[in-house]
Amino acid sequence: MNDVAPSRYKWVGTRPIRPDGVPKVTGRAMYGADLAYPGTLYGKVVRSPHAHARIRSINTEKAKALPGVKAVITGSDFPNQNFEYIGPERVAVNFWHVTRNVMAREKALYEGHAVAAIAAISKEIAEEAEALIEIDYEVLPHVIDVDDAMKPDAPLLFEDMITRGVEPAPTKPSNVSKRLEFAIGDVAKGFKEADVVIEKEFKTAAVHQAYIEPHATIARVDADGQGEIWASSQGHFVVRALTAKLLNMPVGDLRVTPAEIGGGFGGKTVVYIEPVATLLAKLTGRPVKIVMSRDEVFKASGPTSGSSMKVKIGVKKDGTITAAEGTFKFQAGAFPGSPVMNACLCAFAPYVVENQHTVGYDVVCNRPKSAAYRAPGSPISAFAVESVMDMCAKKIGMDPVAFRLKNAAKVGTPMIYGPKLGHGGYIETLEALQQHPAYKTKLGKNQGRGVASGYWFNGGGESSATVQINADGTILVATGSPDIGGSRASMALMAAETFGVDYKNVRAIVADTASVGYTHVTGGSRVTFATGTAVVDASKKAIDDLRARAAMIWDVDVDGVVWEDGCAKPASSNVGDFKPLSLREIAGKAAATGGPITAAASVNAGGQAPGFASQFCDVEVDPETGKVTILRFVAAQDVGTAIHPSYVEGQIQGGVVQGIGWALHEEYIYNPKGQMDNAGFLDYRCPVASDLPMIEPLLVEVPNPVHPYGAKGVGEVNICPPMAAIANAIDAAIGRRMTELPMSPPKIRAALDHSAD
Amino acid sequence: MTTAQVTLSSGFSRRYTGGRREFEIEARTLRDVIRALDKMYPGLGDHLEEETTVAIDGAIHDAPGYFQKLRQGSEVFFIPKLEGG
Repeated sequence: MNDVAPSRYKWVGTRPIRPDGVPKVTGRAMYGADLAYPGTLYGKVVRSPHAHARIRSINTEKAKALPGVKAVITGSDFPNQNFEYIGPERVAVNFWHVTRNVMAREKALYEGHAVAAIAAISKEIAEEAEALIEIDYEVLPHVIDVDDAMKPDAPLLFEDMITRGVEPAPTKPSNVSKRLEFAIGDVAKGFKEADVVIEKEFKTAAVHQAYIEPHATIARVDADGQGEIWASSQGHFVVRALTAKLLNMPVGDLRVTPAEIGGGFGGKTVVYIEPVATLLAKLTGRPVKIVMSRDEVFKASGPTSGSSMKVKIGVKKDGTITAAEGTFKFQAGAFPGSPVMNACLCAFAPYVVENQHTVGYDVVCNRPKSAAYRAPGSPISAFAVESVMDMCAKKIGMDPVAFRLKNAAKVGTPMIYGPKLGHGGYIETLEALQQHPAYKTKLGKNQGRGVASGYWFNGGGESSATVQINADGTILVATGSPDIGGSRASMALMAAETFGVDYKNVRAIVADTASVGYTHVTGGSRVTFATGTAVVDASKKAIDDLRARAAMIWDVDVDGVVWEDGCAKPASSNVGDFKPLSLREIAGKAAATGGPITAAASVNAGGQAPGFASQFCDVEVDPETGKVTILRFVAAQDVGTAIHPSYVEGQIQGGVVQGIGWALHEEYIYNPKGQMDNAGFLDYRCPVASDLPMIEPLLVEVPNPVHPYGAKGVGEVNICPPMAAIANAIDAAIGRRMTELPMSPPKIRAALDHSAD
Repeated sequence: MTTAQVTLSSGFSRRYTGGRREFEIEARTLRDVIRALDKMYPGLGDHLEEETTVAIDGAIHDAPGYFQKLRQGSEVFFIPKLEGG
């Protein structure tokens, strides 16, 4: 924990106890699986054992006839959806695909793909019914690896898929859903100007967000068609919108209540079981609950993409980067939509590079459809780019932090996606590393130090909040943002600061879709920025109302009343000799002055600042076993203003831990049949406490002037640098450039058995 | 009236404006920009509102809002919509 700069705020920047702490540590918090209605049915999803198979027929008659079975559904029970990409590029949604990911129709496209679902009075009966469903599969050749999937003779997931983004359009189908290209300057000219050009190929494994809480939901649909869903998600408004669309229901007929959430990291911004439970509930007239097992979470919810990449960077001897080029091929999983566009846009964003060119390929393969994962796409390209950056620094004999500082993006730097960079903060993160006392310490045998940086856009957009002044002067703040990273505390802090009252007098809650205005997902590091803006706006509206009511109580003009330190006060002695009115005193006269004191605000928050992170780590490599031990990890990040510094530090530490897992341990392992062999936490190796040193966060505060308290998104960029930082440290330790993730002991051993590059 | 320098992404311009990417538009707000482009390319306004993130003088806005103000010489980039985790 490091102290942030002395604050000009009373509450913002403090570290009060989290408001959701007690129910969580006492086991009383209600997560997705914890709610039960009387008469709830057990919902079970039947899944394909095959990686790729045509579904010739499904016969559910015997299962339906089993006593205790109330409904059995297949893909054909869902409404048809048009084949059209709605919306833009990265987030284009094709509901023809989405409905088929929720439940397969013509083909099963990955092991674990849902093919049917059962609602029964018990788990045992549902399992018995599963065995009675007769599915005639024609097993087809499958493809797992992205490079294999791009080969001309690869098995095709969709026999009519023509690559988008290529002109003229190809005449033959392939697994390449889309090609993207971005460029500024003239890379050929830039590479000619370089003294050193380094090009390298990299591969990364698909990794899961590995949230502790599996997906879980309970749905109820009454006879009048009104439905309720209780679900653990990163956005209950999005659960409502997607479920309504997939079931052809009016949005207004669904009310979604957010459960507590045990982690999401991007993976809970989509739906899997919610439409299934809702349809079963509609058919049976009974509540239906579905809880995924860990095996199902791995096999049937979205990990992030694995990739195959090539990166080339040219530099002058003085350290100036003259050109940079990257090709990024991403596994989308079974349906189009990997985060490859973000990879293309973020790859070289931390640097001033006049000549850049990136190409991305979105490629389908027989894996679960990829979903967002913390700064989706950026950590993957950062692994390749920051590794080559390290190689360049080494080649020209420059310190890796000094090399990055020489080329660091600043306000006005042209970005490959078009505009100039509007916010700074990157240089400050590098300076924080440079000034860290451990950066210059000497290391021992088989030990090495690595540096890397990362960039992420951060998000803004639509959020809503309401504020209520209770009769005793306490304040209720309700937002539509599920609390994953501590947003209840940060919302309460910002409200307390705005009202000028004690934090303990503010209670923040997450309201359901019927109780607060539309709010986009808790994702993209957007909540503190966007929902926080809505909270401050609503608080200011309430303060204006409080001033007006004080003016009524004093019989003065409202302009004669100011709000200071949680009280209404006369603006000057000319207004009159009045004692300040507290919130409690004004609330006590609410009825006489106009009724309950409430305010609501909705925003489309824009002008969010991007996030920059720079990190260094020290590792030790055991040359006999290939095991890598992280000795030290220092993570600097521009956080704008840390509203609740402990939560911000937690975000940084969490991102780094996930990055360490991605770097060293985690991967989907498939057998020759295309089935995942390690779908459990014993075999899918997430880092545990004993694998980790203290991860030291360095909070760099460069406030965002657009936010009332200077907040920037802090949840994602911290996962961008670790993979490359560790690879660079391993290279420094043993002289071997690791180019494939995870850098597990067998790969390190194999690298040691070969001579250095 | 102030003048804004407006740029569309290459993919967007390929789809909707016959490849033209750069425009000088008299505008006080983003609403003026969207209206002017929609007049030149009927229907383009809806696409811009639904499918883009907009950067105004380097500051990124997830979704274009009519209310966003421009100054003389403002640089406006419509770029593909972004999504986080």
